[in-house]
Amino acid sequence: MIISIARKEFAEIVRDGRFKWTATIMVLLLLTAMMAGYQKYTTAVRIQHAAQTGTNQQWLDQGDKNPHSAAHYGNYAFKPAGPLSYFDNGISNYTGTAVFMEAHKQNFAIGRPASDQSAIARFGDLSGANILQLLLPLLIIFLGFTSFSGERESGTLRQVLSMGVTNRQLLWGKALGVGSAVLIVVLPCILVGALALSMAQSVDHAEGMATRLATLSIAYLMYAGIFLFLTLAVSALTRHARTTLMVLVGFWAFTGFLMPKAASEISKFTEPTPAFGKWMADMRAHQLRGFDGVPPFAKFARYTKELFKEYGVTSVGELPMYFVAVRLQKLEEYDYPVFDQHYGMIREAYTSQRKVQDQLGILAPTLPLRSISMAISGTDLIQHVKFMTDAETYRRNMVVKMNDYLSKASVHLNTTYSSSNYMRADEEVFAIVPPFEFEPPNLNTMLAEHRSNFILLFLWLAAAIGLAIFAANRISLERN
Amino acid sequence: MLEAINLKKTFGDYDALKGLDLKVNPGDIYCLLGANGAGKTTTINLFLNFIHPTAGKAEVCGIDVTEQPLETKKLLAYIPEQVMLYGNLTALENLRYFAQLGGHDYTETEYKSFLDRCGLQSGAYIQRVHQFSKGMRQKVGVAIALAKQAKALLLDEPTSGLDPKASNEFSALLIQLKGDDASILMATHDLFRAKETGTRIGIMREGRMMQELGTDDVSHADIERIYLEHMHGDSSKYAA
Repeated sequence: MIISIARKEFAEIVRDGRFKWTATIMVLLLLTAMMAGYQKYTTAVRIQHAAQTGTNQQWLDQGDKNPHSAAHYGNYAFKPAGPLSYFDNGISNYTGTAVFMEAHKQNFAIGRPASDQSAIARFGDLSGANILQLLLPLLIIFLGFTSFSGERESGTLRQVLSMGVTNRQLLWGKALGVGSAVLIVVLPCILVGALALSMAQSVDHAEGMATRLATLSIAYLMYAGIFLFLTLAVSALTRHARTTLMVLVGFWAFTGFLMPKAASEISKFTEPTPAFGKWMADMRAHQLRGFDGVPPFAKFARYTKELFKEYGVTSVGELPMYFVAVRLQKLEEYDYPVFDQHYGMIREAYTSQRKVQDQLGILAPTLPLRSISMAISGTDLIQHVKFMTDAETYRRNMVVKMNDYLSKASVHLNTTYSSSNYMRADEEVFAIVPPFEFEPPNLNTMLAEHRSNFILLFLWLAAAIGLAIFAANRISLERN
Repeated sequence: MLEAINLKKTFGDYDALKGLDLKVNPGDIYCLLGANGAGKTTTINLFLNFIHPTAGKAEVCGIDVTEQPLETKKLLAYIPEQVMLYGNLTALENLRYFAQLGGHDYTETEYKSFLDRCGLQSGAYIQRVHQFSKGMRQKVGVAIALAKQAKALLLDEPTSGLDPKASNEFSALLIQLKGDDASILMATHDLFRAKETGTRIGIMREGRMMQELGTDDVSHADIERIYLEHMHGDSSKYAA
């Protein structure tokens, strides 16, 4: 029975002129987005690879110099684009793609594609994710809004209900029929996208690609299911197809346009980030007065005494390491907790904003889906924070290696230093710093971080199904 | 068999049906006559369980429609004033769909034979029904009833708006169905058709059954006269 209803529903939809038009537009948009995204992704991979290789070589070819000067010369870390970024570029346009790593300073990421875009780009990118998040619900609404109210108006509902069909059979049959019609539009585009992905280079970059794709598909199917059952529910609850359409399009605009903007503004209001100038000045002042209130030079004087005591010496010249290098490294390390606190504060503010936005997903299913989609595609805040953390770890390691080398290789300079005989290191020394490699967050970590979003999406789906069953059970011709 | 036992239906303050007693035996075509608002369609809707009775009960083959609505619907076929079909489906597809909803499935040949029996031209079987005239739709409606193998038929002004030829063809179809021992209850305004097609006539007014007649016992002129007298309020002579 359910199959018969689904088959009829499907046949009716695909023969409808509206379906042909909307499906064609949807397919064209999706394919264009996939192709544009794929082209953007392959370009980004090529550029990132060339830039990272180039900068690594530059590091080695920087010319003979003092190792600490080499640490000042620095290096760049370029954030690799994950393979699924072609589908959902998330916040990557706004977070920066490279970070300069140098001695004494922790830097913000630079190279934000958004800053190179025209004002029109603020209306959103044409990405596969954007289309599925915004236009897929609209497609479902257009295909399904007449399911019950349209049949009620045309009189076929009386005919159908007189045949001895239960309301639930009708609901499941229609859900299957409309769902199948939606799938035949979306599925080929997804397959084309997956095929392009499998042909792309560096697809092994993100581990568990199959799991990522499967999880992403499940999330989008749940999202489509939410709109499918909401459409059927509203269609069953309203008496006229026109009313059904108005209610559903209103909800679509609310969840797809209003709530993402509102959530962003609300999160900024409840979890504000400090003003950049003040934040920078505070950090600089904190560096100068010392993390724990003891200024760095005073702290280092204390350390010097401990060092002399440890080695049983009374002068710098007796130390078994180059004192200047020790001082440079110590001053570097005194800044670590200051950087961790102040950069951490900004990171915490952004993380809290993300959590507020996720919590608002209880009002709009687009919000949890958007978070999940960005996370699995590797274009969300967590991924960016991991990149910045890895870059900072690399920077500290780079400086440690250079200072350590200087400290061991220049002991003699403790007594013989002059401006002409300072230590000069070459490519062989610089090579002790390995090239920067970014390890994206583990998929399980990402999924665990977004457990609440999956729960929200599931609750939305359960609520939509529940509402649809309730509405179907209430179908009555009493006032028809 | 269709039976209404002291059937009442109230919509708010309005009594649409005030204790209707009615029995339609197998092989009967029972024509319900009455002005708009007499309660004819309400009676049919109650048999279909589209609406629930305020009191009394409606039975199909001895089964209470309120208690077992799905069971009774399986025994019923319903042909409204305008048979509503799916415009984007062909006549055959509509027939197959509704037959399957009714729990039946047939071969392509059998489906065609139902349509053939209803007088639909073979060229129309695979035409989408949005091009169909009302008469053609009514024929598909009867084919659906045939395919459903219903024990009872509920017809709500099925010939309204049909031209005389189509009306005649429809009446002939009903007489065929009567021959299959179906119980047929037809609400109509068409006194002539009621006399020609029906075996019994019930005249309703303001939710009450005013009088029941056997069509063999009265002439066309009698029916018209009795009907008009009931409609004009002079019903004391005929009160049931």
